[in-house]
Amino acid sequence: MSTTTIDRLRDTELSYRATLAGGALSVFLLIALLGLAFPGSIWGNFLAILTSRSTLSSALRLSVPITFAALGGIFSEKAGVVNIGLEGLLIISAFTAVITTAVVGPEMTVLGLPAIWIGFFAGILSSVLFSALFAVVCIRFKADQIIAGLAVWLIALGLAPFAATVYYGGVNTDNLGTTLGTWTIPVLSDIPFFGAFFDADPAVYMMLVAVPASWYVLNRTAFGRHVRASGENPKALDTVGVDVSRVRYAGVLLSGFLAGIGGSALSLGLGQFVGNNQTMVNGKGFIAIVAYLFGNYNPIGAFGASFLFAGLEAAQIRLQQVPGYAIPDSLIQTIPYVTVLVVLALVGRTRIPEAAGEHYDTGDDNR
Amino acid sequence: MSATENAKAVLRRLTAASATERILISFAALVMAVLVGAVIILVSGRITTCQTAATTLFGTGFCYDPVEVYLVLFNGALGEPFLVNRPGILKPLNPDWNPLSFGLALTLKETTLLIFTGLSVAVSFRAGLFNIGTQGQLVLGGLATALFSFFVAPLLPSGLVGGLILIPLAVIVGALVGGLYGAIPGALKAYADANEVITTIMLNFIAAQIAFVLVSEFYGNPDSQVVETTPLPDWATLLPVAFPQGGDFSILALAFGLALVVAVWFLLEQTSFGYDLRTSGEQPEAAEYGGVDAKRTTVTSMFLSGALGGMGGAIWVLMVMGKWQAGVPALGFDGITVSILAGNNPFGVVPAALLFGTLKSGSLAVQFGTGVPKQLVGVLRGLIILFVAMPEFFRMLGSAIDLEPDRETVATDGGSLGGDDE
Repeated sequence: MSTTTIDRLRDTELSYRATLAGGALSVFLLIALLGLAFPGSIWGNFLAILTSRSTLSSALRLSVPITFAALGGIFSEKAGVVNIGLEGLLIISAFTAVITTAVVGPEMTVLGLPAIWIGFFAGILSSVLFSALFAVVCIRFKADQIIAGLAVWLIALGLAPFAATVYYGGVNTDNLGTTLGTWTIPVLSDIPFFGAFFDADPAVYMMLVAVPASWYVLNRTAFGRHVRASGENPKALDTVGVDVSRVRYAGVLLSGFLAGIGGSALSLGLGQFVGNNQTMVNGKGFIAIVAYLFGNYNPIGAFGASFLFAGLEAAQIRLQQVPGYAIPDSLIQTIPYVTVLVVLALVGRTRIPEAAGEHYDTGDDNR
Repeated sequence: MSATENAKAVLRRLTAASATERILISFAALVMAVLVGAVIILVSGRITTCQTAATTLFGTGFCYDPVEVYLVLFNGALGEPFLVNRPGILKPLNPDWNPLSFGLALTLKETTLLIFTGLSVAVSFRAGLFNIGTQGQLVLGGLATALFSFFVAPLLPSGLVGGLILIPLAVIVGALVGGLYGAIPGALKAYADANEVITTIMLNFIAAQIAFVLVSEFYGNPDSQVVETTPLPDWATLLPVAFPQGGDFSILALAFGLALVVAVWFLLEQTSFGYDLRTSGEQPEAAEYGGVDAKRTTVTSMFLSGALGGMGGAIWVLMVMGKWQAGVPALGFDGITVSILAGNNPFGVVPAALLFGTLKSGSLAVQFGTGVPKQLVGVLRGLIILFVAMPEFFRMLGSAIDLEPDRETVATDGGSLGGDDE
């Protein structure tokens, strides 16, 4: 592909993103305008939902698994391994976190650590182990990354309900009776609306730290440079003496670590793992992929997109509670998925890392 | 070069591998999945609690015995030809075994449904498109079939004549709706370059919700607490003819599925459209140079794939349920396993569907007989895909134990296996 084509694509991409962001903003402004003009109408309800503190706080909570999975996806794909199994990593960590907490005993503390935090770390560990398996399969055994990623998803989708049935006799776990709870920062949490940022799930704070940290690691450190080179031009990286496979392993493991935080936070925030149909993860891993494509592999952009999708989800949940209009709940529930489709259709032409999806052979077979 | 193009390169390489090699890889993958499954069964036997250990290894008791689980599985799937609960390695034959019994009917039912979804996935994969949306196409196709039959049935004479007119039409309606729903991600792929893996998965969620709303709000059975359509009259459904003991298997549907296998093979291998479809999957650049309209081929392939998925839904409604009901089983996802196991070859779909159908139907016997949850099949589904995806693993394994040194040499010299970057 010639440079001019890439530039042209990049320009259209930018204009797509601008259109989309502008579109979202104008929809919001329209709702605000209509809501202010007709306070008693459905638009008034919309406005009230969009500007309520509880919507903000649930949007933040809901964006945690999507954002963490998206951050993980960025590291993996930037390193050259397309990780379509993020959904599976979320599922396995969500399940492991709950079952570990249950086995340890929700009320117990081990070495001063409450059981729920042991579950939290166990969830991360399980996701890292799964991503290690995925990495070996893709890098060492040169499997097709898309099919291997689908396998990771389907294995987790089978394994979690299977294990839940073995232990509990049903695909859902029992409720732990405890959650990660909320960390409230005094004074700041009293601010109207934005106080939601300071009265939140611990994982929300982690997310707010992880997003800029990921950006920094990716763009300002030697490791980040290696990761990007491994996805764009592995041969050059190899030439300067950096082991491409090792960088790719690191990228995939990091994606497992980050997705694991998201999965653990998802289930422990509720205190339960739900294993029906698509499990409680319900496509969040795939939405995360769209989020980082939308965010053009920039952690901050990916967070913005995740927050948009989570915001829609939060608004959708609140909308179901508003009485007096006749749209069925199931239809409202499709809003986030439809939005994801529209976004993907508009930013589909994202330029992915040059060598993503390719195996890299050093020519040294005994590695 | 985009990821999809790379994926296509891999598919190309998979297709380039010889037929024997692919069959070997599929078998090896199945064996590996069964072995890993056995380990999972053993481990979960430690998690659960039981009165007496089912098996003892290295001085540790386990609640589940993997060998017994697989014995019960295959025995159950075949309608219990052996008495597996007798001690000893050689099990005596079951004098009461009846090949037309419930167990075998269940296996053939699953096989029939999996032939449709497996074909659906195979067509798209051959075109280099990862259609993960067979599930959604099946859900909506099935619903269309159920609603069409429900509304048209009163206009037709009941009985055999009505059935002969209605059933084929209902299947066509299911195929059309499934096909159109499949064409959406095809068009998104062709004209907006939206990754079909993601769009099809999103469309699965949307299909489930749309179908749920349509049935719960508009077309539901008013006499039922469940979200389902009104049951169709018997003459409008595919009845179990040869298998009187139930199991919801119709030999007509199986015959139709097998005919479709031949039709899809013919379409792919013997027609110019099939040639375009395969080349755009295997050698996209060559296809473009050869004057193939890539965008149109993408949309048409996805329509075809969706139509096969929709027919799967139609058969599920007409043969199994006699109505559409929320909570459609994950036949579309199973189709991915079937197609991958079959090397995306239409004829390979038949044995692959039979194998996976056996696993699915036997899992019920396993749950009943040994207490191991039937969700085990869900785990095996993913494991099989994982192992088929890494032929390199088996090649390395093969060369490590020096199984076929000659073939290794040929592969290395031929240079067709792996090593694109060298």
